Amino acid sequence: METTEKYHFDVVRWFTIMAVVYLVIGTLVGVIIASQLAWPALNFDIAELTFGRLRPLHTNAVIFAFGGCALMATAFYTVQRTCGVPLWSNKLAWFTFFLWNFIIICAVITLPLGITQGKEYAELEWPFDILIAVAWLAYSFNFAMTIAKRKTSHIYVSNWFFLGMMVMITYLHVVNSLAIPVSLFNSYSIFSGVQDAMIQWWWGHNAVGYYLTAGFLGIMYYFVPKQANRPVFSYRLSVIHFWALMFGYVWLGAHHLQYTALPDWTGSLGAAVSLAMIIPSWGGAVNGMMTLSGAWDKLRTDYVLRFLVMSLAFYAMSTFEGPVMSSKTVNALSHYTDWGIGHVHSGALGWVVMVAAGALYHMIMKLWNTEMYSDKLVNLHFWMATIGAVIYIVAMWVSGIMQGLMWRDYDEFGTLSYTFAESVAAMHPYYVMRAVGGLIFWGGAAVMMYNMFMTIRMASATRGVGAPARA
Amino acid sequence: MSSLAEYFHTDWAALTLNDWIGLVTTVVVFILMVVAYIYVFHPANREHLEKRKHIPLDDDRFETEDKR
Repeated sequence: METTEKYHFDVVRWFTIMAVVYLVIGTLVGVIIASQLAWPALNFDIAELTFGRLRPLHTNAVIFAFGGCALMATAFYTVQRTCGVPLWSNKLAWFTFFLWNFIIICAVITLPLGITQGKEYAELEWPFDILIAVAWLAYSFNFAMTIAKRKTSHIYVSNWFFLGMMVMITYLHVVNSLAIPVSLFNSYSIFSGVQDAMIQWWWGHNAVGYYLTAGFLGIMYYFVPKQANRPVFSYRLSVIHFWALMFGYVWLGAHHLQYTALPDWTGSLGAAVSLAMIIPSWGGAVNGMMTLSGAWDKLRTDYVLRFLVMSLAFYAMSTFEGPVMSSKTVNALSHYTDWGIGHVHSGALGWVVMVAAGALYHMIMKLWNTEMYSDKLVNLHFWMATIGAVIYIVAMWVSGIMQGLMWRDYDEFGTLSYTFAESVAAMHPYYVMRAVGGLIFWGGAAVMMYNMFMTIRMASATRGVGAPARA
Repeated sequence: MSSLAEYFHTDWAALTLNDWIGLVTTVVVFILMVVAYIYVFHPANREHLEKRKHIPLDDDRFETEDKR
């Protein structure tokens, strides 16, 4: 085996592989629960397979298993390359890898068994919360120390985004997870009533803002210029994008609680800052897209670049849609409906998975020093992901708006025009459509996994001993 | 009192310590954002900042140095 690598890339390779594997597993669970909503018989009357048990498994698998491994792979890859030094501690990186995957296995076991804190995107019980904090701090400390011993004078903007995410997620996770344990698998939040709701959505929205946005923007700012072989359009804009995002996002959580027991002004503030956040978000999206200015022809032949550019289009769209939905007028219609599910998936499928897929393809080729096994399969994945995401989102938009309109429609006597059951029945075709869109998207992920394993196999066969080459 | 003035009316005496911490933090962050904006977009800082954008494209040089 070739052992002369300048950087610690073995751990990056394994994070890369696991990210793709978890993408396939996480989206498969998503397809299953989407199908259960369309055809409830698929619950099979088994408690562990019901929607309520599998839904948190789906969100944890895609956000923390896939998203976490993708973030750890890309952060460890880019920090070494942009700083010109190996990771501060290879052992600590491997510790992070094994602990993170152990937590994922624990989630796969405990969530279907109904062991949960009942907090959205923070379902895992207190012992796992502590393990998450340990793994996250190990990841963050290793990253920060690698930056500290860098060869360069300047810290490239992608590292700022990763570091901002690490600091904020530590703070958010610890505060949101504060709980009083009463047994090994049961605990109660130290917050109660409206404070608990406020803390929950302060965490919930910032998991989106810092983990799924800032972290993946770190990916964007390295991999878009790298894949396009052109510098980012404006470095100054990227600096403002970073600081505006860091200072702005943390205010938004209250917009999830419009028309609740929360003081009215907090929801208004959340909505006002949400609308203001369109400016840095679009600044960042335009910055990424304009990187291709004068070289758009690359999109004809570079399928990996297509993922990255399409992700920016979805990023721009969902960062416009979100603030609009946060305004009280629109929120009165959209809240509690499937429009919210459509919105979060335009961000998750369109932005997060697309930008991560582009980065993962790039890294696979670099880390194994080879071309992809099949470019046609990369292109097939791109179209399956795009078409699947669009079908999913459109289905939820139509279903959600219809749902909202049916719920609030009343006749001349002031009586509701539709029963709740009637609105459920009306949504059925769109639930089928969503399951089909999800299935197509999952198919794309499966194609990616096949292509990745064949690429690794091909690279290993070329070298004869299964050894990866220098990236 | 107009409805707008009523909407923005603040009972300063009722502000708690937490309220003051939040208010001061908000104002300081706002000022810092203005400072960041002026610094980043001042023409004198353009070249200094924009030259950093080549870092990802140059990162192979570390390996070249190492191979010497």
